[in-house]
Amino acid sequence: MYGWIWRHLPGNAWVRALISLVLVLAIVFVLFQYVFPWAEPLLPFNDVTVDQGMAGPR
Amino acid sequence: MARTDHDERQDRDTGPPATPSRRPGRGRVAAAIAVFGELLITAGIILALFVVYSLWWTNVLADREAKKQGDRVRKHWAQQGPGKLDTKDGIGFLHVPSMHNGEVLVKKGTSTETLNDGVAGYYTKPVKSAMPWDRKGNFSLAAHRDGHGAKFHDIDKVHEGDPVVFETRDTWYVYKVYATLPETSKYNVDVLDAVPKESGRKRPGRYITLSTCTPVYTSRHRYIVWGELERTEKVDADRTPPEELR
Repeated sequence: MYGWIWRHLPGNAWVRALISLVLVLAIVFVLFQYVFPWAEPLLPFNDVTVDQGMAGPR
Repeated sequence: MARTDHDERQDRDTGPPATPSRRPGRGRVAAAIAVFGELLITAGIILALFVVYSLWWTNVLADREAKKQGDRVRKHWAQQGPGKLDTKDGIGFLHVPSMHNGEVLVKKGTSTETLNDGVAGYYTKPVKSAMPWDRKGNFSLAAHRDGHGAKFHDIDKVHEGDPVVFETRDTWYVYKVYATLPETSKYNVDVLDAVPKESGRKRPGRYITLSTCTPVYTSRHRYIVWGELERTEKVDADRTPPEELR
């Protein structure tokens, strides 16, 4: 998979490394900005209040 | 630099013929396993990034937001003379010296959205919180244990006898912790009652309840700290804090 991506990037090794770095940073940005904020409420790690169960507010 | 370029060119010259000769040697199965392995590594990296996000990045964002909102409240207080309390921006600041986390802005409501800004919220439901200036009742608060400011992270460092101070525009409310409940069900809404019986108190009084999740990094149970109002102090012109905070 990663080998395939590497082979399909243009330029020499330095250019490819640079493009790879930019791609990695872009993916991390998308994860932190959109994916994780969306996923977090769906995971049971951060409910802090007491309430009356599933029907109650969080 | 020139040397590297030269090496690079050599690599590129020898590279392409090497690749096709390597590829047919690998079976389809081997290729599939390699892809599967790479996917597993990717999943591991994403999970690790999620931990970084939860325990670090959300704190950065929440602290920034809380600072901004806190500054707004302070500015508001400084500008305005006596008048109505503005509950939208926040009603005041909570100081718990034994948690070593400075001041925590307190706002209305305990919705995820509110608490994610790195503030503590007072309950509006399931049991409506009393306000500190009410003659009787329980001022009940919730905040995050981890991530999003983690304002109640060190709640387990709060022991009986420790002061909890709530600061409004013109009054310091000094509470003293008299009971803690290190673990209770998340459905135990009785802890928020006007007279929290589980804390051992039977008579109406002016109580404060801090609630957050426990054990750390999970939401399985709730951790409760109860305090009772000891005295109030008028805020002077310099906003000199009460001796508990000095």
